[in-house]
Amino acid sequence: MRLIAYATIAVAAGLLCGAAAPSKMIYQKGRTFSEKLVQLKAGEPLTFVNNDSVPHNIYSLSDGNEFDLGSQKPGMITDVTFMQPGDVDVLCAIHPRMKMSVKVVD
Amino acid sequence: MHWRGQRSFAVENSWLLQSCFVSLIAVLFTVLAETKALAEALVGETRTYDALSRPETGTEALKQTYKRPGLIPFPADNPYTPKKAALGKKLYFDPRLSSSGTQSCASCHSPAFGWGDGLSIAVGDKMEKLARRSPTIVNAAWGSIFMWDGRVPDLEEQALGPIMSASEMNMPIDALLVRLSSIPGYRSLFAEAFPEYGVSVQAIKQALATYQRTIVSGWAPFDAWIEGDEMAIPEEAKRGFVVFNTKAKCSSCHAGWNFTDDSFHDIGLPSPDMGRGKFLPTIVKMQHAFKTPGLREITSRAPYMHDGSIDTLSKVVEHYDDGGINRESRSDLIGPLGLTEAEKSDLVAFLKSLSGEETTAIVPELPR
Repeated sequence: MRLIAYATIAVAAGLLCGAAAPSKMIYQKGRTFSEKLVQLKAGEPLTFVNNDSVPHNIYSLSDGNEFDLGSQKPGMITDVTFMQPGDVDVLCAIHPRMKMSVKVVD
Repeated sequence: MHWRGQRSFAVENSWLLQSCFVSLIAVLFTVLAETKALAEALVGETRTYDALSRPETGTEALKQTYKRPGLIPFPADNPYTPKKAALGKKLYFDPRLSSSGTQSCASCHSPAFGWGDGLSIAVGDKMEKLARRSPTIVNAAWGSIFMWDGRVPDLEEQALGPIMSASEMNMPIDALLVRLSSIPGYRSLFAEAFPEYGVSVQAIKQALATYQRTIVSGWAPFDAWIEGDEMAIPEEAKRGFVVFNTKAKCSSCHAGWNFTDDSFHDIGLPSPDMGRGKFLPTIVKMQHAFKTPGLREITSRAPYMHDGSIDTLSKVVEHYDDGGINRESRSDLIGPLGLTEAEKSDLVAFLKSLSGEETTAIVPELPR
C-alpha cells in the first residue's frame, strides 16, 4: 500500500514539475535552427539551446502558441511547451533567416 | 497481532489519504496551469548549456569566412536573362517612373554615392524629406529581407514600393503601365524580355530586381588580402580586422564577405524611430532595431546609420565604443568596448580596405 502511495506522489510531482523523458532539442549554431520541422504532442516540451556565438531571440506569433524568449545569450537553454494543436512558425526576431516549424498534435 | 495489524492498516490508510490529497492538489495545479496556458506556449526557466564551443578567433581561420562568392544568386522564379537585366537597367535610371518625371530609382540609389544618395535623410516627391537614409543597393542579391525595418521580403516586392509610395516616386501603378505602354521603345523591350507578360507589373518587378542583383561591390584590397596578397592592405588594416572580429564584436552582425547577416538590432542611437518594432511591437529587442547594413563600398556611403546621423567612419567607431543609449531594447552586443585610440584607428583603416577600385557606371540611353 505504501508503495502505491509513493508511486502516486511521484506521478503527481511529475505532473506538477513537468519532469518527463528528455525533450527534443533545437540548436542554433551558425544562425541556423538545427531542425526545419519537428512534430510534438501538445504539452511536450521543446528545448531551445543557444550554442551559437551571438544572442538569439526566438519567438512565435502563431495563434494559441505565442511565446517570446527575449534575448537568449550564448550558452543558455530554455524549454517551450506548446499547448495548442496546430502548426507553429518559430522565428528569431534578430536573425530573420532563422525559421522553423513545429507541428503540435493531440 | 490483531491490534498491531489494525494499527498498521490505520497508518497505511493515513498515508493513502495524505498521498491522495497531495495528488489532488498536484492535479489541480496542473489543470490550472494548463487552463492558463491555452492562450500561449509555456516558457520554462532559462538554464546554462555546458557544451558551448568557443568561436574560432585565429586570423587565418577567420579569413576563410570572408571569401567572396563566385556567382550571383538569382531566384528560381526570376532567373537571370540579359534582356531582363538590360530592361531593368533602363527602368532603374528612368525618371519617368516617378509621377513628376524627375526621380528615378538612381536618384536615391546612385552609383555616384556607393548606390546611395549621400544625404543624411532621403528626399521624395516634391523634395519632401523622408524618414530615413537611402540604403545602398550594393549586393542586394544576397539580401534575405529588405528595407531598414525589414518590411519587404524580396527584391521583386521592394522594387514597386518606392515607385508607388505617395511620399517617394508617387506613381500609381496603373498610370505607370499606361505611361510605359505609350513609349514604343519600351513596348518592344518588354516584349523581348517578357514575351508572356509584355508591359506589366510582373515584368517591371522582375526586370528591376534582376538588374539590381547585378550590382555587386567591386574587388577591394581586402579581397586581395583574403586571397593571399599580404601587401594588399596596410598593417593597421590587418590589426583592425582582428579588432573587428574580436574585441569590438563588429562581426557578430557585420558577418561574412558582405559584412551583414541581415540581423536587426537597437544600437543605442537617440532616434525616436521604432524601426522593426513597428512590426513586432511585443518583442522588446526589436524596438528601435534596424537591419544591419553591409559594409562594402563603405567609404562612398557617408553619412552613416539609418538616420544619417553620423558623418564619418571615425565617429561611427566612437559611437560603438561608447555603446549609445543603454535601454531595454538595446542589443546585448552593444555596450562600452574600451577600445584604445590605436584600435579605433586600426578599425577605420580596415573599413577603408572594403571599398573597391573606382568604377564608372554607364547610364543607359532611354527608350523614346
